Amino acid sequence: MTINIAIVGCGKIADSHVGEIRKLTCARLVAVCDLEPIIAEQIAVRYGIPHWYSDFDRMLSEQRPDVVHIATPPRSHLALTQKAVRAGCHVFLEKPLAVNAIEGRRLIECVQQAGKKMTINYWPNFETPALGLKALVARGELGDPVHVESYYGYDLTGRFGQALLSDESHWVHHLPGKLFHNIIDHAINKITPFLSDETPQVLARAYRRRPSNDDKTDRVLDELRVMILGRSTSAYVTFCSHARPVGQFLRVYGTRNTVHVDFMLRTMLVEQFQGFPTALGRLVPPFKSSWRSFRQAAHNVGEFAGSQYHYFAGMNRLLSAFYDSILRNSAVPISYAEILRVSTIMDEIFTQVYPEDVT
Amino acid sequence: MKVLVTGAGGFLGTALIERLIAHGYVDIRCNLRRRANIPKLEEISKRFPQADLEYCIGNLKSSEEAARAVHGVQLIFHLAAGLKGDAADLFLDSVVSSRNLLQAIGDRKPMRIVLVSSFAVYGVAELGRGAKVDEQTALESHPEWRDDYAHSKLRQEQLFWEYQRRNGFELVVLRPGVIYGPGAGHFSSRVGIMIGKSLLYLGGGNLLPLTHVQNCAEAVVTAGFHELAAGQVYNVHDDDLPTCRDYLRAYKKYVKNVRSVPLPYFAVQLLSKMLAIYNRYSKGQLPAVLTPYKAASLWAGNQFDNSKLHAIGWQQLVPTVEGLRESLGALRAEIDSAKVR
Repeated sequence: MTINIAIVGCGKIADSHVGEIRKLTCARLVAVCDLEPIIAEQIAVRYGIPHWYSDFDRMLSEQRPDVVHIATPPRSHLALTQKAVRAGCHVFLEKPLAVNAIEGRRLIECVQQAGKKMTINYWPNFETPALGLKALVARGELGDPVHVESYYGYDLTGRFGQALLSDESHWVHHLPGKLFHNIIDHAINKITPFLSDETPQVLARAYRRRPSNDDKTDRVLDELRVMILGRSTSAYVTFCSHARPVGQFLRVYGTRNTVHVDFMLRTMLVEQFQGFPTALGRLVPPFKSSWRSFRQAAHNVGEFAGSQYHYFAGMNRLLSAFYDSILRNSAVPISYAEILRVSTIMDEIFTQVYPEDVT
Repeated sequence: MKVLVTGAGGFLGTALIERLIAHGYVDIRCNLRRRANIPKLEEISKRFPQADLEYCIGNLKSSEEAARAVHGVQLIFHLAAGLKGDAADLFLDSVVSSRNLLQAIGDRKPMRIVLVSSFAVYGVAELGRGAKVDEQTALESHPEWRDDYAHSKLRQEQLFWEYQRRNGFELVVLRPGVIYGPGAGHFSSRVGIMIGKSLLYLGGGNLLPLTHVQNCAEAVVTAGFHELAAGQVYNVHDDDLPTCRDYLRAYKKYVKNVRSVPLPYFAVQLLSKMLAIYNRYSKGQLPAVLTPYKAASLWAGNQFDNSKLHAIGWQQLVPTVEGLRESLGALRAEIDSAKVR
């Protein structure tokens, strides 16, 4: 069976959705929609998509897609999801979930009430090393998690950063958490699986490090530090726009071993307890570590040779798993509780760093 | 008569304002996206005290701001456009902004719009090697095969002609080649592509359709006010065009000795074919930065003709030798000042 897909929201991120949908044999992209017809038209022309719309309701009624990908700014996520599930569609949502956790909860409830499925684009968690970490944890090789560090480096000179810093009316400026709101899902969703607490204690501080533009864009803070304290596990979340090279990693300190997952280099390195005594105990581990790095590099070469090393390979796996859950009527790849927990922690962070913008 | 210049804070925009003032048109509304660009225009204001520059800060992506920008003007020089970014950004900055501007004007008359388009709209890939590109050359039939910039500029120009037919205003279109001058980039993609610190040098002996920013601005003013220019298209490039080889040689002499790896055209075609095949096979694991279509568009080598522009009285103000010396000198100064910092 082929699943018919439609996309609403044809901005930058829509290109990655189109690219990954087209790689899947079980899916067919039938239409795209954007409030701005010129933007819908350009993506349809570039990718040869048969239909494009500027009216979401019309697209739903004429194309009757099985799944709608919502890739619009988060303020419209709830309303579009409500329309999509009412029209009988499942929903693949671009992060963040919604403008806040209250709306996010309503969004999930409306999906459940309609008997439909929804998932969110937490694609880095479906990269090979992230899946490796999941398997490692499941096997108990880390022991109990004691502390987790999630580091997210960001390049403000990149296309998205430049777009929002050169445009005072960019939609990111209207989000309660501004730039962080659009990005830090990717940092928070990596630590929530290790926190057993429903509402851990959150302490957040943020500041602007870049020079002033002397306009409204100055309100966008670009450095964020968060400490999260649970009953048995603590976490640091760092969002950093100025350190180079730009890195993204997760480090989990367990009672048995520690693991370092590098999302940029796509490696997972386990730092095991070593039993050599005296000086040997400091001499041998770097060799073991180098050997593990070499094996990871060789594995990546293998993935590259097999054309499995795309930038959005994780998104491809996530989409595949989501469509599969629809076809088999099985569990969605990311639990709704997990998605809501990320959203709740984000709300708490924004309340602390942008108190005047969060109502 | 007040004239509007969109993109007034840009590379060509500031040069155009100077040329407008030089021609005696001093009542100018400068549309800028950001206040940060005002100091550049203030400098012009100081040099030409007779100029009456009005700053209109606003993004044409907003219909309201577009309406504010065009209020009360009968002549518009539309330079604002997206130059870099993703396809969605380029279309927003070039096409959606243009649509808002055109809707704000409606069927107001008299109205003349001077659009600065681009050489990128020509369907050069379908011409033979060495073919002449002039105003009669067919437009791109597959801009999406070339690049997002060409695609957005072609769509922008089409939009202007559609609205012109509907609303009957006077439209003048200029299609500049490679605009250069102090403040421009180091290499046009027609010369080659920078990979790390090395230049993959693809242009060889092809003519480089340069136009110095002052010469280009002069062309925009000349066509903008010429009685017979309504409904016409003008290619804009200078007379004494260098080859890509000449440019690279001068760059190495006056700026720095960049490492260049030359690839003859047959090798460029071969490499592009291989990359395109691999891109398809791997489903985009490596981007198709080179394809045979892109290669034929940029590096096949063409002849150029600016006689139509000369026919309405345009004259090259800055000779190419002098312009290159000035432009490359500015690049060298930029490197030196970065070293000091």
